[in-house]
Amino acid sequence: MSTRISRRTWLTGVPVLGGLFTTGCSRETFIPPHVRGGLIGAADVLTMSTNRLLLSGQQLAREYSASDVADPFPTWNQTNPKNPEYQQHLSEGFRNWRLPISGLVARPVALSLDEIKSLAARTQITAHVCEQGWSAIGEWTGAPLKRVLEAAGGVTPAARYVVIDTYDRWYEGYDLFEVEHPQTILAYGLNGRDLPTGNGAPLRLRVERQCGYKNLKFLKSIRVVDSMSGIGKGTGGINSDIGFHWFAGV
Amino acid sequence: MGHSYSVRICHWVNVIASGYLLVSGVHILLDFPELYWGDTGYRGYPAIFRLSDWGLSWEAAGALGDRRWGRNYHVTFAWVFLLNGLVYVGWNLYTTHFRKRMLPARDELTMSHVRTELRDHVRWRSRRHASRGDYGTLQKTSYLLLIFVFVPFMILTGVAQSPGYTAAMPVLLDLFGGRQSARTLHTLGTVLFVLFVAVHLLEIAAAGFVNRVRSMITGKDSRPVERGAITP
Repeated sequence: MSTRISRRTWLTGVPVLGGLFTTGCSRETFIPPHVRGGLIGAADVLTMSTNRLLLSGQQLAREYSASDVADPFPTWNQTNPKNPEYQQHLSEGFRNWRLPISGLVARPVALSLDEIKSLAARTQITAHVCEQGWSAIGEWTGAPLKRVLEAAGGVTPAARYVVIDTYDRWYEGYDLFEVEHPQTILAYGLNGRDLPTGNGAPLRLRVERQCGYKNLKFLKSIRVVDSMSGIGKGTGGINSDIGFHWFAGV
Repeated sequence: MGHSYSVRICHWVNVIASGYLLVSGVHILLDFPELYWGDTGYRGYPAIFRLSDWGLSWEAAGALGDRRWGRNYHVTFAWVFLLNGLVYVGWNLYTTHFRKRMLPARDELTMSHVRTELRDHVRWRSRRHASRGDYGTLQKTSYLLLIFVFVPFMILTGVAQSPGYTAAMPVLLDLFGGRQSARTLHTLGTVLFVLFVAVHLLEIAAAGFVNRVRSMITGKDSRPVERGAITP
Protein backbone atom coordinates (compact mmCIF):
# COMPACT_ATOMS: atom_id res chain seq x y z
CA MET A 1 0.00 0.00 0.00
CA SER A 2 2.77 2.40 0.91
CA THR A 3 4.54 1.84 -2.43
CA ARG A 4 1.38 2.67 -4.28
CA ILE A 5 1.01 5.96 -2.47
CA SER A 6 4.61 6.94 -3.06
CA ARG A 7 4.36 6.10 -6.75
CA ARG A 8 1.18 8.09 -7.01
CA THR A 9 2.67 10.99 -5.16
CA TRP A 10 5.61 10.95 -7.49
CA LEU A 11 3.45 10.73 -10.61
CA THR A 12 1.23 13.49 -9.30
CA GLY A 13 4.02 15.99 -9.70
CA VAL A 14 4.07 16.31 -13.46
CA PRO A 15 0.44 16.99 -14.31
CA VAL A 16 -0.18 19.06 -11.21
CA LEU A 17 2.14 21.71 -12.64
CA GLY A 18 -0.29 22.02 -15.51
CA GLY A 19 -3.22 21.89 -13.15
CA LEU A 20 -2.07 25.05 -11.47
CA PHE A 21 -3.04 26.93 -14.59
CA THR A 22 -6.52 25.50 -14.84
CA THR A 23 -8.88 26.78 -12.23
CA GLY A 24 -11.24 24.45 -10.46
CA CYS A 25 -9.32 21.35 -11.51
CA SER A 26 -8.20 18.97 -8.83
CA ARG A 27 -5.87 16.01 -8.76
CA GLU A 28 -8.75 13.78 -9.82
CA THR A 29 -8.86 15.65 -13.12
CA PHE A 30 -5.42 14.40 -14.14
CA ILE A 31 -4.87 11.07 -12.41
CA PRO A 32 -7.03 7.94 -12.39
CA PRO A 33 -8.49 7.00 -8.98
CA HIS A 34 -6.20 3.98 -8.88
CA VAL A 35 -2.84 4.04 -10.65
CA ARG A 36 -1.69 0.67 -11.92
CA GLY A 37 1.90 -0.42 -11.42
CA GLY A 38 4.79 -0.21 -13.84
CA LEU A 39 4.93 1.32 -17.28
CA ILE A 40 1.21 0.80 -17.89
CA GLY A 41 0.35 2.96 -14.88
CA ALA A 42 2.78 5.67 -15.96
CA ALA A 43 1.22 5.62 -19.44
CA ASP A 44 -2.28 5.85 -17.91
CA VAL A 45 -1.26 9.01 -16.05
CA LEU A 46 0.38 10.50 -19.15
CA THR A 47 -2.67 9.76 -21.28
CA MET A 48 -5.17 11.20 -18.84
CA SER A 49 -3.15 14.26 -17.85
CA THR A 50 -2.21 15.27 -21.40
CA ASN A 51 -5.77 14.72 -22.51
CA ARG A 52 -7.16 16.84 -19.71
CA LEU A 53 -4.62 19.60 -20.26
CA LEU A 54 -5.58 19.74 -23.93
CA LEU A 55 -9.26 19.75 -22.96
CA SER A 56 -8.93 22.24 -20.12
CA GLY A 57 -11.28 24.58 -22.02
CA GLN A 58 -13.96 21.83 -21.84
CA GLN A 59 -14.16 21.81 -25.64
CA LEU A 60 -17.03 19.88 -27.17
CA ALA A 61 -16.48 16.65 -29.05
CA ARG A 62 -17.30 17.09 -32.74
CA GLU A 63 -21.00 17.33 -33.51
CA TYR A 64 -22.11 16.06 -36.91
CA SER A 65 -25.07 16.80 -39.15
CA ALA A 66 -28.33 14.86 -39.33
CA SER A 67 -27.29 13.21 -42.60
CA ASP A 68 -24.38 11.45 -40.82
CA VAL A 69 -26.66 9.60 -38.41
CA ALA A 70 -26.73 5.80 -38.37
CA ASP A 71 -30.38 4.74 -38.24
CA PRO A 72 -31.03 2.16 -36.94
CA PHE A 73 -28.13 2.70 -34.59
CA PRO A 74 -26.02 -0.46 -34.12
CA THR A 75 -26.48 -2.47 -30.94
CA TRP A 76 -23.59 -4.17 -29.21
CA ASN A 77 -22.87 -6.38 -26.19
CA GLN A 78 -25.75 -6.33 -23.70
CA THR A 79 -28.98 -5.51 -25.51
CA ASN A 80 -31.60 -6.68 -23.00
CA PRO A 81 -30.56 -7.38 -19.39
CA LYS A 82 -32.15 -10.51 -17.91
CA ASN A 83 -32.40 -8.83 -14.52
CA PRO A 84 -36.06 -9.44 -13.38
CA GLU A 85 -36.32 -5.93 -11.97
CA TYR A 86 -35.32 -4.53 -15.35
CA GLN A 87 -37.75 -6.82 -17.17
CA GLN A 88 -40.52 -5.63 -14.87
CA HIS A 89 -39.79 -1.96 -15.65
CA LEU A 90 -39.50 -2.74 -19.36
CA SER A 91 -42.91 -4.46 -19.38
CA GLU A 92 -44.41 -1.43 -17.60
CA GLY A 93 -42.91 1.00 -20.11
CA PHE A 94 -40.66 2.36 -17.30
CA ARG A 95 -43.63 4.09 -15.63
CA ASN A 96 -42.49 2.97 -12.19
CA TRP A 97 -38.78 3.22 -12.91
CA ARG A 98 -36.92 5.74 -10.72
CA LEU A 99 -33.34 6.97 -10.77
CA PRO A 100 -32.14 7.33 -7.16
CA ILE A 101 -29.44 9.96 -6.66
CA SER A 102 -27.69 9.45 -3.35
CA GLY A 103 -24.44 10.09 -1.53
CA LEU A 104 -22.76 13.48 -1.43
CA VAL A 105 -25.64 15.57 -2.73
CA ALA A 106 -27.61 18.20 -0.86
CA ARG A 107 -31.03 16.49 -1.23
CA PRO A 108 -31.02 12.81 -2.25
CA VAL A 109 -33.94 12.16 -4.60
CA ALA A 110 -35.32 9.52 -6.92
CA LEU A 111 -36.34 10.97 -10.28
CA SER A 112 -38.90 9.50 -12.64
CA LEU A 113 -38.28 9.41 -16.38
CA ASP A 114 -40.77 12.24 -16.85
CA GLU A 115 -39.00 14.35 -14.25
CA ILE A 116 -35.69 13.81 -16.06
CA LYS A 117 -37.35 14.69 -19.35
CA SER A 118 -38.71 17.89 -17.83
CA LEU A 119 -35.17 19.18 -17.20
CA ALA A 120 -33.60 21.43 -19.85
CA ALA A 121 -32.60 18.96 -22.56
CA ARG A 122 -29.61 18.82 -24.85
CA THR A 123 -29.55 17.19 -28.27
CA GLN A 124 -26.21 16.31 -29.81
CA ILE A 125 -25.19 14.41 -32.94
CA THR A 126 -21.98 12.71 -31.95
CA ALA A 127 -19.87 9.65 -32.69
CA HIS A 128 -20.00 6.64 -30.43
CA VAL A 129 -16.41 5.37 -30.47
CA CYS A 130 -16.13 1.77 -29.37
CA GLU A 131 -12.82 0.63 -27.94
CA GLN A 132 -13.00 -2.34 -30.29
CA GLY A 133 -12.64 -0.06 -33.29
CA TRP A 134 -16.10 0.64 -34.63
CA SER A 135 -17.81 4.01 -34.55
CA ALA A 136 -21.28 5.23 -35.43
CA ILE A 137 -22.97 8.61 -35.27
CA GLY A 138 -26.23 9.09 -33.42
CA GLU A 139 -28.49 11.95 -32.40
CA TRP A 140 -28.73 11.78 -28.63
CA THR A 141 -31.26 13.70 -26.55
CA GLY A 142 -31.02 13.85 -22.81
CA ALA A 143 -30.57 15.83 -19.63
CA PRO A 144 -27.05 17.04 -18.83
CA LEU A 145 -25.75 15.05 -15.84
CA LYS A 146 -24.90 18.35 -14.17
CA ARG A 147 -28.57 19.41 -14.30
CA VAL A 148 -29.68 16.03 -12.95
CA LEU A 149 -27.34 16.42 -9.99
CA GLU A 150 -28.63 19.95 -9.45
CA ALA A 151 -32.12 18.45 -9.21
CA ALA A 152 -30.71 16.70 -6.14
CA GLY A 153 -29.46 20.00 -4.78
CA GLY A 154 -26.01 19.69 -6.33
CA VAL A 155 -22.93 17.89 -5.07
CA THR A 156 -21.31 18.75 -1.75
CA PRO A 157 -17.75 20.12 -1.54
CA ALA A 158 -16.37 16.69 -0.56
CA ALA A 159 -17.66 15.08 -3.80
CA ARG A 160 -14.99 13.73 -6.15
CA TYR A 161 -16.60 11.03 -8.29
CA VAL A 162 -20.03 10.20 -9.62
CA VAL A 163 -20.71 6.46 -9.68
CA ILE A 164 -23.32 5.08 -12.04
CA ASP A 165 -24.83 1.60 -11.55
CA THR A 166 -26.73 -0.26 -14.23
CA TYR A 167 -29.24 -3.09 -14.49
CA ASP A 168 -26.68 -5.34 -16.16
CA ARG A 169 -24.56 -5.01 -12.99
CA TRP A 170 -22.06 -2.68 -14.61
CA TYR A 171 -20.74 0.32 -12.74
CA GLU A 172 -18.34 3.14 -13.54
CA GLY A 173 -16.91 6.17 -11.76
CA TYR A 174 -16.54 9.59 -13.41
CA ASP A 175 -14.52 12.50 -12.13
CA LEU A 176 -16.25 15.87 -11.82
CA PHE A 177 -14.43 17.32 -14.85
CA GLU A 178 -16.20 14.74 -17.01
CA VAL A 179 -19.48 15.16 -15.14
CA GLU A 180 -19.56 18.93 -15.65
CA HIS A 181 -18.98 18.77 -19.40
CA PRO A 182 -21.99 20.08 -21.38
CA GLN A 183 -22.08 16.96 -23.58
CA THR A 184 -22.16 14.59 -20.60
CA ILE A 185 -25.85 13.75 -20.72
CA LEU A 186 -28.24 11.07 -19.55
CA ALA A 187 -29.83 10.25 -22.86
CA TYR A 188 -33.44 9.07 -23.18
CA GLY A 189 -33.74 9.77 -26.91
CA LEU A 190 -31.87 8.42 -29.92
CA ASN A 191 -32.41 9.62 -33.49
CA GLY A 192 -35.60 11.48 -32.54
CA ARG A 193 -37.30 8.52 -30.82
CA ASP A 194 -37.28 7.02 -27.33
CA LEU A 195 -34.01 5.25 -26.59
CA PRO A 196 -34.47 1.64 -27.83
CA THR A 197 -33.97 -1.26 -25.44
CA GLY A 198 -30.97 -2.47 -27.43
CA ASN A 199 -29.24 0.89 -26.90
CA GLY A 200 -29.84 1.08 -23.16
CA ALA A 201 -33.46 2.09 -22.39
CA PRO A 202 -34.72 3.91 -20.51
CA LEU A 203 -31.60 5.98 -19.89
CA ARG A 204 -27.95 5.75 -20.87
CA LEU A 205 -24.92 7.89 -20.22
CA ARG A 206 -23.12 9.78 -22.99
CA VAL A 207 -19.52 10.80 -22.28
CA GLU A 208 -18.51 11.86 -25.76
CA ARG A 209 -14.81 12.23 -25.09
CA GLN A 210 -14.35 8.66 -23.90
CA CYS A 211 -14.67 5.25 -25.50
CA GLY A 212 -17.84 3.19 -25.72
CA TYR A 213 -17.36 1.22 -22.54
CA LYS A 214 -17.64 4.36 -20.40
CA ASN A 215 -21.03 5.14 -21.99
CA LEU A 216 -23.12 2.96 -19.69
CA LYS A 217 -26.55 1.67 -20.71
CA PHE A 218 -29.62 0.63 -18.64
CA LEU A 219 -28.99 3.11 -15.80
CA LYS A 220 -30.16 2.06 -12.37
CA SER A 221 -28.83 4.58 -9.88
CA ILE A 222 -26.36 7.38 -9.25
CA ARG A 223 -24.12 7.77 -6.21
CA VAL A 224 -21.84 10.71 -5.50
CA VAL A 225 -18.73 9.74 -3.52
CA ASP A 226 -15.49 11.21 -2.24
CA SER A 227 -13.38 8.19 -3.22
CA MET A 228 -13.61 5.12 -5.42
CA SER A 229 -11.87 2.87 -2.91
CA GLY A 230 -14.19 0.25 -1.46
CA ILE A 231 -16.40 0.23 -4.55
CA GLY A 232 -15.94 -2.95 -6.59
CA LYS A 233 -12.24 -3.69 -6.61
CA GLY A 234 -11.51 -0.05 -5.93
CA THR A 235 -10.03 0.78 -9.33
CA GLY A 236 -12.81 3.21 -10.20
CA GLY A 237 -15.08 1.15 -12.41
CA ILE A 238 -15.89 -2.33 -13.61
CA ASN A 239 -13.88 -1.90 -16.81
CA SER A 240 -10.74 -1.04 -14.91
CA ASP A 241 -11.57 -3.82 -12.41
CA ILE A 242 -11.23 -6.26 -15.30
CA GLY A 243 -8.11 -4.59 -16.73
CA PHE A 244 -9.13 -1.86 -19.18
CA HIS A 245 -8.05 1.77 -18.91
CA TRP A 246 -10.08 3.66 -16.34
CA PHE A 247 -9.68 6.82 -18.38
CA ALA A 248 -10.95 5.82 -21.81
CA GLY A 249 -10.04 8.93 -23.81
CA VAL A 250 -7.95 6.74 -26.11
CA MET B 1 32.12 5.78 -38.46
CA GLY B 2 30.32 4.00 -35.61
CA HIS B 3 26.93 4.71 -34.10
CA SER B 4 26.77 7.18 -31.23
CA TYR B 5 25.39 6.25 -27.80
CA SER B 6 22.13 8.09 -28.36
CA VAL B 7 21.53 6.41 -31.70
CA ARG B 8 22.22 2.96 -30.25
CA ILE B 9 20.10 3.34 -27.12
CA CYS B 10 17.21 4.91 -29.03
CA HIS B 11 17.45 2.22 -31.69
CA TRP B 12 17.02 -0.66 -29.26
CA VAL B 13 14.34 1.06 -27.20
CA ASN B 14 12.60 1.62 -30.51
CA VAL B 15 12.93 -2.05 -31.44
CA ILE B 16 11.20 -3.06 -28.20
CA ALA B 17 8.51 -0.38 -28.46
CA SER B 18 7.80 -1.08 -32.14
CA GLY B 19 7.63 -4.81 -31.46
CA TYR B 20 5.04 -4.31 -28.73
CA LEU B 21 3.14 -1.79 -30.87
CA LEU B 22 3.00 -4.22 -33.78
CA VAL B 23 1.85 -7.23 -31.78
CA SER B 24 -0.63 -5.29 -29.64
CA GLY B 25 -1.92 -3.49 -32.75
CA VAL B 26 -2.61 -6.82 -34.43
CA HIS B 27 -4.49 -7.92 -31.29
CA ILE B 28 -6.67 -4.80 -31.44
CA LEU B 29 -7.38 -5.28 -35.13
CA LEU B 30 -8.24 -8.97 -34.68
CA ASP B 31 -10.89 -7.97 -32.18
CA PHE B 32 -12.73 -6.03 -34.89
CA PRO B 33 -11.34 -7.39 -38.16
CA GLU B 34 -12.97 -5.00 -40.62
CA LEU B 35 -11.88 -1.65 -42.07
CA TYR B 36 -14.03 1.22 -43.31
CA TRP B 37 -13.68 4.65 -44.88
CA GLY B 38 -15.06 7.92 -43.49
CA ASP B 39 -16.49 8.68 -40.06
CA THR B 40 -18.63 5.61 -39.66
CA GLY B 41 -17.93 1.90 -39.54
CA TYR B 42 -19.61 -0.93 -37.66
CA ARG B 43 -20.51 -4.55 -38.20
CA GLY B 44 -23.00 -4.54 -41.06
CA TYR B 45 -21.83 -1.22 -42.51
CA PRO B 46 -20.16 -1.42 -45.97
CA ALA B 47 -16.54 -2.33 -45.29
CA ILE B 48 -13.54 -1.86 -47.56
CA PHE B 49 -11.70 -4.78 -45.97
CA ARG B 50 -12.98 -7.85 -44.15
CA LEU B 51 -10.65 -10.44 -42.72
CA SER B 52 -13.45 -12.98 -43.22
CA ASP B 53 -13.01 -12.53 -46.99
CA TRP B 54 -9.48 -13.83 -46.49
CA GLY B 55 -10.51 -17.01 -44.74
CA LEU B 56 -10.44 -15.98 -41.08
CA SER B 57 -13.94 -15.73 -39.62
CA TRP B 58 -14.95 -13.00 -37.19
CA GLU B 59 -15.13 -15.49 -34.33
CA ALA B 60 -11.79 -17.10 -35.14
CA ALA B 61 -10.12 -13.66 -35.35
CA GLY B 62 -11.73 -12.63 -32.06
CA ALA B 63 -10.42 -15.76 -30.39
CA LEU B 64 -6.88 -14.87 -31.50
CA GLY B 65 -6.95 -11.25 -30.36
CA ASP B 66 -7.14 -9.92 -26.81
CA ARG B 67 -8.12 -6.27 -26.93
CA ARG B 68 -7.65 -5.68 -23.23
CA TRP B 69 -4.00 -6.77 -23.46
CA GLY B 70 -3.72 -5.08 -26.85
CA ARG B 71 -5.07 -1.69 -25.78
CA ASN B 72 -3.04 -1.56 -22.57
CA TYR B 73 0.24 -2.33 -24.30
CA HIS B 74 -0.48 -0.33 -27.44
CA VAL B 75 -1.04 2.87 -25.48
CA THR B 76 1.86 2.19 -23.11
CA PHE B 77 4.38 1.55 -25.86
CA ALA B 78 3.01 4.38 -27.97
CA TRP B 79 4.21 6.63 -25.14
CA VAL B 80 7.57 4.84 -24.96
CA PHE B 81 7.90 5.12 -28.74
CA LEU B 82 6.94 8.80 -28.76
CA LEU B 83 9.20 9.88 -25.89
CA ASN B 84 12.10 7.82 -27.25
CA GLY B 85 11.55 9.33 -30.70
CA LEU B 86 11.49 12.85 -29.30
CA VAL B 87 14.77 12.23 -27.46
CA TYR B 88 16.29 10.76 -30.61
CA VAL B 89 15.17 13.56 -32.93
CA GLY B 90 15.91 16.29 -30.41
CA TRP B 91 19.37 15.00 -29.58
CA ASN B 92 20.37 14.39 -33.19
CA LEU B 93 19.12 17.75 -34.35
CA TYR B 94 21.21 19.25 -31.55
CA THR B 95 24.34 17.29 -32.48
CA THR B 96 23.67 17.93 -36.20
CA HIS B 97 23.73 14.15 -36.79
CA PHE B 98 20.85 14.45 -39.23
CA ARG B 99 22.49 17.23 -41.25
CA LYS B 100 25.95 15.66 -41.28
CA ARG B 101 25.12 12.02 -41.85
CA MET B 102 21.58 11.73 -43.09
CA LEU B 103 20.84 14.70 -45.32
CA PRO B 104 21.87 13.79 -48.88
CA ALA B 105 24.36 16.23 -50.40
CA ARG B 106 23.42 18.09 -53.57
CA ASP B 107 25.56 15.92 -55.84
CA GLU B 108 24.08 12.78 -54.27
CA LEU B 109 20.66 13.80 -55.49
CA THR B 110 21.50 13.91 -59.20
CA MET B 111 19.61 11.44 -61.37
CA SER B 112 22.78 9.70 -62.50
CA HIS B 113 24.02 9.19 -58.95
CA VAL B 114 20.71 7.80 -57.76
CA ARG B 115 20.44 5.61 -60.85
CA THR B 116 23.91 4.14 -60.31
CA GLU B 117 23.20 3.49 -56.66
CA LEU B 118 19.86 1.92 -57.42
CA ARG B 119 21.37 -0.33 -60.09
CA ASP B 120 24.19 -1.45 -57.82
CA HIS B 121 21.72 -1.95 -55.03
CA VAL B 122 19.38 -4.31 -56.86
CA ARG B 123 22.42 -6.24 -58.13
CA TRP B 124 23.63 -6.66 -54.52
CA ARG B 125 26.86 -4.89 -55.41
CA SER B 126 28.79 -2.59 -53.13
CA ARG B 127 28.54 1.07 -53.90
CA ARG B 128 30.99 2.20 -56.54
CA HIS B 129 30.31 5.81 -55.87
CA ALA B 130 30.30 5.76 -52.11
CA SER B 131 28.22 8.54 -50.61
CA ARG B 132 29.55 10.76 -47.89
CA GLY B 133 29.56 9.11 -44.50
CA ASP B 134 28.28 5.60 -44.00
CA TYR B 135 24.92 5.86 -45.66
CA GLY B 136 23.93 5.69 -49.31
CA THR B 137 21.56 8.21 -50.81
CA LEU B 138 18.72 5.69 -50.94
CA GLN B 139 19.34 4.83 -47.33
CA LYS B 140 19.49 8.44 -46.21
CA THR B 141 16.29 9.19 -48.06
CA SER B 142 14.45 6.18 -46.64
CA TYR B 143 15.52 6.94 -43.07
CA LEU B 144 14.55 10.60 -43.35
CA LEU B 145 11.17 9.67 -44.86
CA LEU B 146 10.67 7.10 -42.14
CA ILE B 147 11.50 9.46 -39.29
CA PHE B 148 9.93 12.68 -40.52
CA VAL B 149 7.02 11.49 -42.66
CA PHE B 150 6.03 7.93 -41.77
CA VAL B 151 6.34 8.11 -37.97
CA PRO B 152 4.32 11.36 -37.68
CA PHE B 153 1.76 9.81 -40.02
CA MET B 154 1.41 6.75 -37.77
CA ILE B 155 1.19 8.87 -34.62
CA LEU B 156 -1.45 11.15 -36.11
CA THR B 157 -3.57 8.36 -37.62
CA GLY B 158 -3.37 6.64 -34.23
CA VAL B 159 -4.39 9.70 -32.23
CA ALA B 160 -7.15 10.48 -34.77
CA GLN B 161 -8.95 7.36 -33.49
CA SER B 162 -9.05 8.65 -29.92
CA PRO B 163 -12.29 10.28 -28.77
CA GLY B 164 -10.40 12.36 -26.19
CA TYR B 165 -7.63 13.79 -28.34
CA THR B 166 -9.96 14.41 -31.29
CA ALA B 167 -12.26 16.43 -29.05
CA ALA B 168 -9.26 18.64 -28.30
CA MET B 169 -7.97 18.59 -31.90
CA PRO B 170 -10.88 17.96 -34.31
CA VAL B 171 -8.56 18.83 -37.20
CA LEU B 172 -7.20 15.28 -36.85
CA LEU B 173 -10.54 13.98 -38.11
CA ASP B 174 -10.47 16.26 -41.15
CA LEU B 175 -6.86 15.47 -41.92
CA PHE B 176 -7.61 11.83 -42.74
CA GLY B 177 -11.26 12.09 -43.78
CA GLY B 178 -12.75 10.61 -40.62
CA ARG B 179 -12.04 8.33 -37.71
CA GLN B 180 -12.50 5.10 -39.69
CA SER B 181 -10.30 6.37 -42.53
CA ALA B 182 -7.61 7.08 -39.93
CA ARG B 183 -7.98 3.52 -38.61
CA THR B 184 -7.66 2.11 -42.14
CA LEU B 185 -4.61 4.26 -42.93
CA HIS B 186 -3.05 3.28 -39.58
CA THR B 187 -3.47 -0.39 -40.53
CA LEU B 188 -2.06 0.24 -44.01
CA GLY B 189 0.88 1.99 -42.38
CA THR B 190 1.44 -1.11 -40.25
CA VAL B 191 1.79 -3.17 -43.43
CA LEU B 192 4.33 -0.65 -44.76
CA PHE B 193 6.18 -0.83 -41.45
CA VAL B 194 6.41 -4.63 -41.65
CA LEU B 195 7.76 -4.29 -45.20
CA PHE B 196 10.30 -1.74 -44.02
CA VAL B 197 11.49 -4.06 -41.25
CA ALA B 198 11.75 -6.95 -43.74
CA VAL B 199 13.90 -4.88 -46.12
CA HIS B 200 15.92 -3.50 -43.20
CA LEU B 201 16.69 -7.03 -41.95
CA LEU B 202 17.49 -8.19 -45.48
CA GLU B 203 19.97 -5.35 -45.89
CA ILE B 204 21.58 -6.18 -42.56
CA ALA B 205 21.90 -9.79 -43.67
CA ALA B 206 23.50 -8.63 -46.91
CA ALA B 207 25.97 -6.41 -45.07
CA GLY B 208 26.89 -9.11 -42.55
CA PHE B 209 24.29 -9.67 -39.87
CA VAL B 210 26.58 -10.29 -36.88
CA ASN B 211 28.84 -7.37 -37.68
CA ARG B 212 26.00 -4.90 -38.20
CA VAL B 213 24.11 -5.95 -35.05
CA ARG B 214 27.34 -5.78 -33.04
CA SER B 215 27.99 -2.31 -34.39
CA MET B 216 24.50 -1.16 -33.30
CA ILE B 217 25.21 -2.56 -29.82
CA THR B 218 28.85 -1.58 -29.22
CA GLY B 219 29.14 1.35 -31.60
CA LYS B 220 32.31 -0.13 -33.07
CA ASP B 221 32.52 -0.74 -36.78
CA SER B 222 34.97 -3.46 -37.76
CA ARG B 223 34.13 -3.14 -41.45
CA PRO B 224 36.49 -1.31 -43.83
CA VAL B 225 35.17 2.21 -44.15
CA GLU B 226 36.26 3.27 -47.62
CA ARG B 227 34.38 0.74 -49.73
CA GLY B 228 31.55 -0.69 -47.66
CA ALA B 229 28.92 -3.08 -48.80
CA ILE B 230 25.32 -1.95 -48.65
CA THR B 231 25.02 -0.73 -45.10
CA PRO B 232 21.77 -0.66 -43.23
